Amino acid sequence: MNQGMPEREEQAPMPAAGPAGLADGASALVRARAGKETVADIALLLEGTYPYIRGGVSAWVHQIISGLPEIRFAVVFIGGEKTMYGPAQYAFPPNVTHAETHYLMSPDAPSKVRARKGNRKAFLEMAEFHALLRASGQSGYMPDEKMAGALAQLGIAGGVRREDFLHSESAWSYITSQYRERCTEPSFVNYFWAVRAMHDPLFVLADIASGLPPVGAVHAISTGYAGLLGAMIRLRRSIPFLLTEHGIYTKERKIDLAQATWIHDHSDDVGNTLHDEMGYIRGMWISFYEHIGRIAYGQALQIVSLYEGNRKRQIADGAPAGKTRVITNGIDLQRYSTVLQRRPAEIPAVLGLVGRVVPIKDIKTFIRTVHALVNVRHDAEGWIVGPEDEDPAYAAECKDLVASLGLGGHVKFLGFQNVAEILPQLGLMVLTSISEALPLVVLEAFASGLPCLATDVGSCRELIEGRTEEDRALGVAGSVVFIADPEGAARAALELLNDAGRWHAAQKAGLERVRRYYNDRLMFDSYRDLYTQALDNPALPSSPSAGAGFPSPENSPTMEAS
Amino acid sequence: MSGIGSEIRKILEHDSYWSVLRAYGYAGLVSGGPWVLSILSIMMIGILAVSLGVAQHEVNAFQICVTYLMAGSLIWTGGMQLMFTRFAADRTYAGAQAEVLPNLFGVLLVTMAGGFAWAAPFIFWFFTDSLLQQLLLLSNFIVLSGMWITLIFLSGMKAYRRIIGNMATGYTIGIAVALLASRWDLNGLLLGVLTGHSFLLFSFLRHIVRDYPGKDLLRFDFLEKGRSFYSLFLIGTLYYLAVWVDKFIFWFVPYTSEAVVGPLRASIIYDLPIFLAYLFILPGMAVFLVSIEADFADQHERFYRAVREGDTLMHIEYRRDRMVYAARQGIYEIFKIQGLTVVLCLLWGRELLQVVGISPLYIHLFYIDVVAVSVQVLLMAILNVLFYLDARREVLFITTFFFATNLGFTFATLHLGAETFGYGFAASVTLSAFLSLFILSHKFNRLEYETFMLQN
Repeated sequence: MNQGMPEREEQAPMPAAGPAGLADGASALVRARAGKETVADIALLLEGTYPYIRGGVSAWVHQIISGLPEIRFAVVFIGGEKTMYGPAQYAFPPNVTHAETHYLMSPDAPSKVRARKGNRKAFLEMAEFHALLRASGQSGYMPDEKMAGALAQLGIAGGVRREDFLHSESAWSYITSQYRERCTEPSFVNYFWAVRAMHDPLFVLADIASGLPPVGAVHAISTGYAGLLGAMIRLRRSIPFLLTEHGIYTKERKIDLAQATWIHDHSDDVGNTLHDEMGYIRGMWISFYEHIGRIAYGQALQIVSLYEGNRKRQIADGAPAGKTRVITNGIDLQRYSTVLQRRPAEIPAVLGLVGRVVPIKDIKTFIRTVHALVNVRHDAEGWIVGPEDEDPAYAAECKDLVASLGLGGHVKFLGFQNVAEILPQLGLMVLTSISEALPLVVLEAFASGLPCLATDVGSCRELIEGRTEEDRALGVAGSVVFIADPEGAARAALELLNDAGRWHAAQKAGLERVRRYYNDRLMFDSYRDLYTQALDNPALPSSPSAGAGFPSPENSPTMEAS
Repeated sequence: MSGIGSEIRKILEHDSYWSVLRAYGYAGLVSGGPWVLSILSIMMIGILAVSLGVAQHEVNAFQICVTYLMAGSLIWTGGMQLMFTRFAADRTYAGAQAEVLPNLFGVLLVTMAGGFAWAAPFIFWFFTDSLLQQLLLLSNFIVLSGMWITLIFLSGMKAYRRIIGNMATGYTIGIAVALLASRWDLNGLLLGVLTGHSFLLFSFLRHIVRDYPGKDLLRFDFLEKGRSFYSLFLIGTLYYLAVWVDKFIFWFVPYTSEAVVGPLRASIIYDLPIFLAYLFILPGMAVFLVSIEADFADQHERFYRAVREGDTLMHIEYRRDRMVYAARQGIYEIFKIQGLTVVLCLLWGRELLQVVGISPLYIHLFYIDVVAVSVQVLLMAILNVLFYLDARREVLFITTFFFATNLGFTFATLHLGAETFGYGFAASVTLSAFLSLFILSHKFNRLEYETFMLQN
C-alpha cells in the first residue's frame, strides 16, 4: 500500500480559514442537508494507510481533514491483518466524528464449518455477474442493477453469506466448474485457495458497508478494496461516492504480483526467461484488481488524480474520462517562506535527496551522480535524508557503493531529519526515483526556493516544466533527466550549480509555480467544492457509470462511450 | 503405505497360487491372530485341563470367567483404544513423537487404575468364594485392560509379526502354567491366563518402549481438550457394547441362562454357537487386511497426496475414483470370501458341531451366527474405511445404531421364541452394515466437496 511517496515528517497545516463566505456557506449547506441523521458528512475509506501507517498518503489525509474543519469526517480504516499494524500514528483532528478499524484477513467471527447447500440461485447470479465482468472488458460497463444486485447479495441471508462461500455445495460446484472451464494452472489446490483468498475479504467489505452508520457521502483514497467498498456503499445506500487516487493502485498491485513469491506458477519451475507465460493464478489476481478497480471507477461520481499522467492512466484503465479530474497536492506556503529566508546568498554545492533509502528511489544512481559531479566540482556533496530501516540490505549496499567509489567525504547519510532544517543548506533537490506520483518534496523544495532535478517519472516533468501553457510560461524550475543516468544527472546538476543566473531563474519559476498552482488553499478549495457538490447532489443519477459526474471547470461532461 | 501392505505385496509379487495363498494366510494370521489365538488357547486349556482330571464344571466356570473378563475389559478400554490410537497418530504426524510414550503410560495408568477403582469393589462385593479368587479375577481384569491398549498400539505401529510371535509365546506360557497349576482348579487356570496375559502386556510394552523415544515418564495430554477426540472414545465404547450386548442379555435373562460362578451367568444355548462362529471370520479378516489396510490405504494416501500436492481437479477425481474402486473391491472381496465360508458352514455345519462335541440342536443358531459374524466383518471393514475418511460423526451414528438395534432386536427375539435366537444380532449387524454402506457411498460422493470446503 505504499504509494511511492517519501516517508516524511507529518505536515500539520493550520486550519484553513479559506474565503470565509464560501466555507461558511458550504458548511451551512452540509449541515442542512445531512447533519441531522448522519454521524459524518464524508466517510474516508482508507486502505492500509491513515491513521496507522505514516507516509505520503496518510500525511495528505491528515492535511485534508485538518484543512477542512467545517466538514465532519468518518475515518474507515481497512487493514490486512491485525498484527501488521501498531497504534495509530496520527491524533484525529476534532472534526473526525467517527472512526472504524477493520481487518480483511481476520474477520471478527470465524465462520462455523458445517455442510450446507448454499443458495443455488444466488450463485447463478454470481456466475452471471462474473460473466458480465469478463464481457465488460476495458470499458468496465455493466448495467447498474446487475452490479448492485450482485454486490447486494454479499453477506445477506437470501444471497451469498461468507459461510456459504466458504462451505456450501453451491460454492463448490461453482468453483469447480470455473476451474474446469478456464483454469490452465495444473494445481487445483492453489486455484482453490486463490479464489478463497481473493473473495473472502469481500464479505468483510459487505459487513462494513452494511454496518457503517449513516454518512453524507463516501470518499475512497484508492481503488482496490477501499474503492470497492465505496462502490458497494454507493450501490446499497445511493449516496455519492468520490474516489481519489494518489498512486495507481492497480498498477502497483501488478508490480507486487509480478514479484510475488507466494504464488507458485508452474512457470517458476520451468524456467525464468523474462517473458515467460504468466501463471494463471497470477493473471487471475491481476484481473481481480483490474475488475474491482473498474467497478470503483464505474460507481464513482468523481475520480480525482494528482496529476495529468495519472488521469490518463485511469482513463486507460477504464475510468470514464468525463468523471476524471486532477486536484494536485498543495503545501502550506507560509511555513516554507521562513525556510526561504534562511537560505544563504551563496548556492551550496550540495545535492539533496529526501526520501526513504529503498530501491524505488534508486539511491545508487544518486550516489553515482554525486561521484560524476565530484570529478568536476571537487567541493560537491550529496546528502541522503531519510530513514534507512525499511530495506536495511539495500541501505547497506548503498553505503558499500559510497565506500567503493571513495566518496566517503562527499556523500552523507543523514537519516530522518526535519526537512525545514535541511532545505536551506541544499543547492539542488534531486530525485532519482524510478517511480513517483506527485512528490511533496519537490513542492517543499520549490516553496523554500530550491530548484529541483528529477527523473522523468510521475508528475515530475509537470512540476518542473509546467503543466498548462500558462504554467509553462513561468519557466523551468530545475531539470528533468532520464532514470538511471548518473552522467546526465551530473551534467544537469553542474549546469545549474555553476550558472547562478540559471539557478535563480529556476528558483523564481519554482516559487511562482508552487504559489500559483500548489498552494494548499487551492487543494482545500477544490476538495471543499467536491464535497459540497457531492453532498448537495440532489437526486443521485441512477446510473452514474453511464453518465458523467457533475460538471467541473476542467472537464466538460463528455460521456465515455460504453 | 502401511508396512503390512508392502509385506503382503512382496509375497504377491511371486505371482503364483502358492504365493497368493501364503499372502492371505499371513494376512489371516496377522489380522485374526490375536482373536483366534486367545479363543483357541482358552479352549485348549479347557480340553487339556479336563483330560488332566479337572472337573468339567470348574473348566466351564473358568471359560465363563475368561469370557466376562474379555468382554468387560474390551468394553472398558474400547473407547480409550480408539482415542489414544488417534492421539498417537496425530502427535507422530506433527513430529512430536516423544510425547507419545509418556502419554501411553498416562493411558495405561488411567485405564488400569480406573479399572481397579470400579472393578475391585464390584469383585469383592459379588464374589464370595475366596480372597485368592477375587484377587485373581481383579488382576486378570487389570492386566487385560492394559494389554488391549498396548496391543492396539502395536497394531497401529503395524508390528503384526511381533504381535503374533509374542502371542504364540504368551499363550504357550499361559497354557503351560494353567496346566501346571490345574490342581488348584479354577484358580490355577486363572493363574495360567494371568501369567500369559501379563507376559503379553510386558513384552508389548518392551517393544513400544524400545521403538519410541520419550523424555518424560508420564503425561496426560491425551485428555486435553482440542487434542483429544471424545467422539472416538464414545465410538469405541459403543462398538464393544454393541458387540456384547446380545450376549449379556442372554446371560442375564433367567430362562436362557444359568448361574456359573459368583454373579456370573452363562447361556450355554447361546454362547457355544457364537464363539464357534467367530472362528470363521478368519478368511474375511485376511481379505480385510489385504484389501482395506493395504490396497485401500494405499489409494487413500494417493488421493490425499493429489489434493495436497496440487494435482489438477481431474486427477484428484481420478484418484477419488480409484480409491472408491479399491474400497468397493475390498468390501466385495470380503463379501465373497465370507459368503463362501457361510456356504461351507451350511454344508458341513452338522459334522463340525459333532466333531467339537456340541449338540446338533444348536445347528440353526450356528448357521445364523456364521452369517451374522460374516456381516460383522463387512461392517468392520466399512467402519474402517470411514475412519480413514475421518468420518467420526458418521461412525458414531452407525455404532449407536448398531448398539440400539442389537439391544432392541435381541429382546424382541426373547419374546418371539427360541427358534428366533441369534436373529436379533444378525438383523442388527446386517442393518448396520447396510446403513454404513449407504453412508459410505454418500460420503464418497461428496468427498472432494467435504475435503476442500469443510476443512477448518
